[in-house]
Amino acid sequence: MNDVTKTTGPANAGPDEAGPQGRDHALPISVRSLTKTYGAFHALNDVSIDIRNGEFMTLLGPSGSGKTTLLMVLAGFVRPDNGSVKFGEREILLLPPHKRDIGMVFQNYALFPHMTVADNLAYPLKLRRVGKAEIRERVERALDLVQLGGLGDRGIEALSGGQRQRVALARAVIFEPRILLMDEPLSALDKNLREQMQFEVRALHDRLGITTVYVTHDQREALTMSDRIAVINEGRIQQVDPPRKLYERPETFFVASFIGETYRLPVEVADGKASLFGQPVRTDSPLGSNAARQTLILRPEMLHIDEGAPEADENQMTGTLRQSVFQGDSIVSYITIHGDHEIAVRSQHRSDRSLPEPGSEVRLSWLVQDTVILPGDGRT
Amino acid sequence: MSIRKTLLTATALAAAMGTGTGAAWAQDSITIASWGGAYQEAQRKAWFDVVEEELGITVNEDTTSGVADVRVQVASGAPTWDLTQQGNAGCALLDSEGNVEPLDESILSIPGIPDEFKGEGWISNLVYGHVIARNDEVFPDEKPENWVDFWDTEKFPGPRSLRKSPMYNMEVALLADGVPMDELYPIDTERAFNKLREIRDDVAVWWSSGAQSAQVLQDGEVDMAGLWNGRAQALTEEGAPISITFNEQIVLADCWIIPKGAKNKDLAMKAIEVMSRPEVQARIALFINYGPANADAFDTGVIPEDVAKGLPSHPDNVAKGFYLNEAYWVENLDRLTQEFDFFIQE
Amino acid sequence: MTAADHQPDAPMNERALDRQARAEQRNLMALSLPAFILVGSLVLLPMGWLFWMSIYGADGFTAENYTRLLHPSYKKTLITTFELAFLVTGLCILLGYPLAYLASQLKPRMASLVLLCVLFPFWTSLLVRTYAWLVLLQRRGLINNWLMEWGLIDTPLKLVHNFTGTTIGMVHIMLPFFVLPLYASMKTVDYDLMKAASNLGASPVRAFWQIYVPLTLSGLGAGVILVFVLSLGFYVTPALLGGGRVMMWAMQIERSMAVYADWGAASALGVVLLVMTLGILWAFARLTGAIGATEGK
Repeated sequence: MNDVTKTTGPANAGPDEAGPQGRDHALPISVRSLTKTYGAFHALNDVSIDIRNGEFMTLLGPSGSGKTTLLMVLAGFVRPDNGSVKFGEREILLLPPHKRDIGMVFQNYALFPHMTVADNLAYPLKLRRVGKAEIRERVERALDLVQLGGLGDRGIEALSGGQRQRVALARAVIFEPRILLMDEPLSALDKNLREQMQFEVRALHDRLGITTVYVTHDQREALTMSDRIAVINEGRIQQVDPPRKLYERPETFFVASFIGETYRLPVEVADGKASLFGQPVRTDSPLGSNAARQTLILRPEMLHIDEGAPEADENQMTGTLRQSVFQGDSIVSYITIHGDHEIAVRSQHRSDRSLPEPGSEVRLSWLVQDTVILPGDGRT
Repeated sequence: MSIRKTLLTATALAAAMGTGTGAAWAQDSITIASWGGAYQEAQRKAWFDVVEEELGITVNEDTTSGVADVRVQVASGAPTWDLTQQGNAGCALLDSEGNVEPLDESILSIPGIPDEFKGEGWISNLVYGHVIARNDEVFPDEKPENWVDFWDTEKFPGPRSLRKSPMYNMEVALLADGVPMDELYPIDTERAFNKLREIRDDVAVWWSSGAQSAQVLQDGEVDMAGLWNGRAQALTEEGAPISITFNEQIVLADCWIIPKGAKNKDLAMKAIEVMSRPEVQARIALFINYGPANADAFDTGVIPEDVAKGLPSHPDNVAKGFYLNEAYWVENLDRLTQEFDFFIQE
Repeated sequence: MTAADHQPDAPMNERALDRQARAEQRNLMALSLPAFILVGSLVLLPMGWLFWMSIYGADGFTAENYTRLLHPSYKKTLITTFELAFLVTGLCILLGYPLAYLASQLKPRMASLVLLCVLFPFWTSLLVRTYAWLVLLQRRGLINNWLMEWGLIDTPLKLVHNFTGTTIGMVHIMLPFFVLPLYASMKTVDYDLMKAASNLGASPVRAFWQIYVPLTLSGLGAGVILVFVLSLGFYVTPALLGGGRVMMWAMQIERSMAVYADWGAASALGVVLLVMTLGILWAFARLTGAIGATEGK
């Protein structure tokens, strides 16, 4: 992971910063037992989650998982069947959206097309009866904050996608909300711009120290930006953890397969010890279950083809090389494990090493600390 | 082959119509344009059939919507109509414009048709009256019998309806103001408008079509109205509690003209002559509530006595009213209509 | 034929290609020819004829047809015509906007039901609808009868054969013309914008006035223009429900034809109405254009 994700918690916004002054920058969010059904469909199924003060929390899941519904409940646009949502100490579920005082960035930006950029930014301030001079000043500052200085008089139609994104961002924070909601805000941008904006959004969050709830279906985006990620599927929260832990220690098959590439191999467990096709498999923490049939989760980049005996901190298994493909910078080896499990291993090309012959036996090693075993056979 | 066949068919058709030899049949027809509808149907049965039989010709029919049609036809140089029905005012106007053929002396000297009903190029054929009609349920005992009563909103309260035109209204306003029937023309328009102003707020509807005048009476929207007798009598026949009086009626007529340059001018003259005879004239009363223009028609015995008494042109009824002065309105209609439009919008 | 046949000094195809391009353009233009002919023969020609008749009488060129319009009667009519058009347009806005809004917010099924009700009058003859109002509104009509039966009034209200009745009838007839374009523009409003306004702190009422209404202005404008211009030229309804005293410009045109049988006078009236209508459209375009310009400044 990159260093941005390590920068957790609210950054210190000095008195000269654009951030809010003289008040709490952020509020924690506490969601309890939230339920929302549409007919027989459970959009939210007993969802509880705590989002910390100043945290960048991403709701990650496939479409229809309930992540957007959860965000809309927070914003007040969806009325749940039951549950509780608190911002700080205050129950807000019964408040109408316009009294919740939270910033929001919409997927399509939702900028008012009949207003200029500056008017869009000034709108929430006018609603809060801020004086004219102060509005002008704060609009200027907000434009500078998102690097759009001097574009205040532009019409919305005259802006590029990235510029609109920045205006939407500036509008969502200009009235100094203590919570910011973002609904797939970068999905309409092309790849390069999207990556650049990921950094900018995160930087803005760090600067303002605002509690941010960010919805996306893009795992890479989630991993890049978040303090913590809540993976949601079928209306339920699967796991809430920092990106790295989520990746390395998935707690459910869904989380394992939704984030990154995985292989699954059946393991048998007896007396707390796991074995893979007869070979023992070690883990660095006790197994979560005593079920006899469990599943080993492997990621291709964790495996390496080994010629010698396993190191002390490694597990190992053997397989038959079916084919190796030379791809310039790397070599992809297709290996069959125990007859019917196929695994592809990518290894770096080294000129001093020759490709093993197809049909020969190879050994695959991986670190004990990377070993994840989940109960069940993974078929849901 | 096909040409011969067509000719054969045409000849057979002509023969079947009883118009003599096929070669001459195209000559022996005239086209008459009238107001269409039940009105023209009555004319067909009463008059056109007689003309066809008597003259051995075919009468083709068309409809007119007013003097503008005649002007256009004459201006084109080849009118398609040989004979056209118009209101007397229209006939007089077209005559003064030179858009009609002068009528033969023999037609203009037909006895029984009063001088008010003819000019050099036109002659009336059918008479109707502008009368007072009232709702008998609203006025079961004493009814408004003349225009003084019509103006008396104390004695006879209730909404009224009058035509949306200065024509008729100028005359009846003066009658209501005490001017005798034979001293109406030339109209003292200022006096007439002043008198009209007195009743303006009680006129709920200024009607602009005959149908509308009957409808407002029938629906009870108004309790009395000045309107054409045929419309009111039709309501009575349908069982509506409406009665009319010919007292102070304005005697009106429609008339024939021959558009200038009509192809079959001579045949048209003959047709007018046939249709103006008292015994032919009388037939119209059998088919519609309008009277013959020829007063002698009432002496032919064709019209039953009870029907005759309900016709505006019955000598007794004519005696109760007066003839509209067409010449006056040809001169003044445009100017007075503007004044009148201003007056009702005030 | 092979590539070897090409002579190095043979003329290139520049001119032929250019000809081809122009021919293609010509053919494309030819597609619009029927429309041009149609517009030319059915609109421009009669309009030219109309104008010609208004200035050329039996005695040559004349301004008489226009000077006669100076009579106060025409001024009255002009005022009435505009009063009625403004009133009808205003009432259409008051009644039609909430209706279109309702339809745009309903589920598709209910929305089409509401629109069907709005459209229904379209399938009934104008005359029938106008007479229906007569049945309802007249002195012994349904409404007056009910009100008297319930003892709410002693004498019948004058609901028809006046300005009131004309207005009611015209609003009923014009409402679909107003609601349909408005509904269309309301359907295109991005509902996220309303959410955004609400999220930024706007109460529903504020969000409606500050965001929703401006965003539906195009449909509103289209509806207003349609209703206003159609109202200016209205004839049947005022003629039947106005009791004769509500004189519209179109009725003056008809009167010129029927009463005076005068094409010249009627043409002049037609020309005046046409010019006024175009003037209003122009002013409206300027006005909305000006609003658009300040928005995009």
